[in-house]
Amino acid sequence: MRMTPAVILFGVLALLGSIALVMVYWPYAQQDTTPSEIFRARNAEEAAGRHIYLQNGCVYCHSQAIRPFDWDLGSERIAQAGDYVADEPIQLGSQRTGVDLSQEGGEHPDDWHHAHFINPRYTRPSSVMPPFEWLGTERIRALTRYVQSLGFLQADRRMERQDYWKQESITAYEAGPDANVRWLVEHVPEGWHRVPNPYPTTAAGLQRGQRIYQYFCIGCHGPVGDGMGPAQPWIYPPPLNFTILKGRAISGGILYHQIMNGITGTAMPYFKRDLESQKIWEVGDYVAYYFINQSDANQEPKGIDAAWEP
Amino acid sequence: MSTAEDSISHGNQTAKAFTLTSALWFAFATTFGMIAAGYLVAPDFMANIEYIQFGRMRPMHVNAVLFGFVTPGLLAAAFYYLPRLMKTRLYSEKLGVFSAVFWNLTVAAGMVGVSMGYSQGREYAELPWVVDILVVISFSLVIANFLLTIRRRTEPILYVSIWYAAAAVVLTACTYCLGNVIWKPDTGALAGIPDAILLWFYGHNVFGLLLSPMALGVAYYVLPIATRSPLYSHTLSLLGFWSLIVVYTHIGTHHLLQVPVPTWLKTISIVDSVAMVIPVMVFLINIWYTVKGKLGDVHADIGAKFVFTGTIYYFFVNIQGSMMALPDVQRITHYNNWVVAHAHIGVLGFAGVTALGGLYFILPRITGKPLHSTFLADLQYWLVLIGITGFGIVLTIVGLIQGQAWYNGETLYRTLPEIQPYYITRLSLGILIMTGAYIGLYNVIRSLYFNRGATS
Repeated sequence: MRMTPAVILFGVLALLGSIALVMVYWPYAQQDTTPSEIFRARNAEEAAGRHIYLQNGCVYCHSQAIRPFDWDLGSERIAQAGDYVADEPIQLGSQRTGVDLSQEGGEHPDDWHHAHFINPRYTRPSSVMPPFEWLGTERIRALTRYVQSLGFLQADRRMERQDYWKQESITAYEAGPDANVRWLVEHVPEGWHRVPNPYPTTAAGLQRGQRIYQYFCIGCHGPVGDGMGPAQPWIYPPPLNFTILKGRAISGGILYHQIMNGITGTAMPYFKRDLESQKIWEVGDYVAYYFINQSDANQEPKGIDAAWEP
Repeated sequence: MSTAEDSISHGNQTAKAFTLTSALWFAFATTFGMIAAGYLVAPDFMANIEYIQFGRMRPMHVNAVLFGFVTPGLLAAAFYYLPRLMKTRLYSEKLGVFSAVFWNLTVAAGMVGVSMGYSQGREYAELPWVVDILVVISFSLVIANFLLTIRRRTEPILYVSIWYAAAAVVLTACTYCLGNVIWKPDTGALAGIPDAILLWFYGHNVFGLLLSPMALGVAYYVLPIATRSPLYSHTLSLLGFWSLIVVYTHIGTHHLLQVPVPTWLKTISIVDSVAMVIPVMVFLINIWYTVKGKLGDVHADIGAKFVFTGTIYYFFVNIQGSMMALPDVQRITHYNNWVVAHAHIGVLGFAGVTALGGLYFILPRITGKPLHSTFLADLQYWLVLIGITGFGIVLTIVGLIQGQAWYNGETLYRTLPEIQPYYITRLSLGILIMTGAYIGLYNVIRSLYFNRGATS
């Protein structure tokens, strides 16, 4: 084959043109632009927030596509092409240095996001996300509106739930510590009240509990469990002060349930994705032993003793 | 120096200008990379500075590497070898120098634009529309010089390096316009899933139709000369060239195997990703057989040493890339640092190291004097080599930790504390690469402008 300038230029251009036609234009022409069942249009403020998201390269760490084999945030729903019909540009992402955000909307109340944007480690101590305090309140608000819209109609339903329980939790908090604790306990299903922490308190268990506490809890509840972590100024109702719980019949089961399920409307997230059973029991016992100063670990009723117990 | 060489060289202003461009942006780009890697270790250090926060520093790093360091480095070699392979002068050194200056302004404008928050938010296609236009003009200036030089050639036969260099710049000018959706200045994007398909078609072509062919052109030029051996096979050259163009352009969708794009498109991209062994192995067989038994000659020339090392990385990045396109493998490797390792092995280990080799190979020839310091060039070689090898290993380990943990149901927040020590190791290895870049910049400046060495 004689490689002349014409052969090279026309050859490669013809190849590029025909391949681009098949690999890019054909899927473009054949695309289904039907929105998915959760889709809705974004309002102006959400669109402004999305612009901030684009400008600041959020896509380099946050994907927006749930895969069939995912477990983490948003994994209740696998991504569909119809979710993205209004996204120009699309923000699928190629990295998960942070969590996938496709269903982030309504996972947390707005004040959690505010504290998180001021400094991500306030609400997520192990995060490596940059602080966005420099955006200022206006832009943080717009960005929050966008993030709270991720998941479209499903996000809207979660936001309604957040807003409802936000009011309830504020009312309870403002009624004073006694009423607040009663309100918190009341909303834990009855069975949990009678379940003590099934594991005995051990030095090793407390060490593990402390590690979990430092990775997940310290930003809001603070190093001594008094609710004065660095996130405290931004969130309302403020983080619970564990030291007021002594003598209020807080069983290990109640702590377990609250850590597992969180308290919607408040900045307290659920940890059932992040932590498995033993980790929740042990961080609960860490809180009970050190901060409440009253642990029911290894008390009756506990059934048959576990084989490994000392 | 021979009179034939005199009639061709004409001062080599263009090759010199692109050499300096590449060395300069290598230093900048690795600095940006260091800052970004530093943020992953200590996110509150230098925090709340809008213009250098992670989300802006990362695209600055990537674009500075692609368009500031690697491409100009490979262009410098091309501006040197094109006239020599065609026994003519470069069409216009003035145009060449102008294109180099324009190129620098373009890259600088891109950096400022992204830093100021004018990113279009599309990975690898961030540069704002105005800069997109400048990029296309930059490529057009180079294309004009290349094609007009080809037109005035006195050597009728076009050597394989010329095919690659000419095809790379022409094809990139086209895919750049297409990939950046240059006809839509406001968003620079399509809507929905087709945008992702187009973006990765383009994104992969930056490597497949720009960096790879340019680097192969340099390897095809440098290694036969350094070993004084004829090229092993013309047939393999042809097969490698055409199969590269055909196969590379099909594989972009392998970035989208886990999202809702048409299955037939995924299938093509997987098949062609595996088929990438054809152009890669054809090239490697051709070039490795060319230098067979002459590694002493390769070792003796610092430029050839870099270039040969680049070919070894080309082998690794290709085997890895083909493997990663398999859906079962990708379930573990996607979305994590495995891919970051792969990208660095490809862009720095193969294309970047080859570009450095091109620079060191042509520097004595365009200045007519030996390198300012072969020792410093060798030091840079080892710093970059240890840096990128360690980088690749560490980030591959991190990727496996992340991927396996996620696949088994551990959440991202559980894996973050686990990978912190590896981020610190990565930062340390980055320091080696960045130090190498600054040593290289010093050596290039000394060799170009303050070289007291005897003329060769």
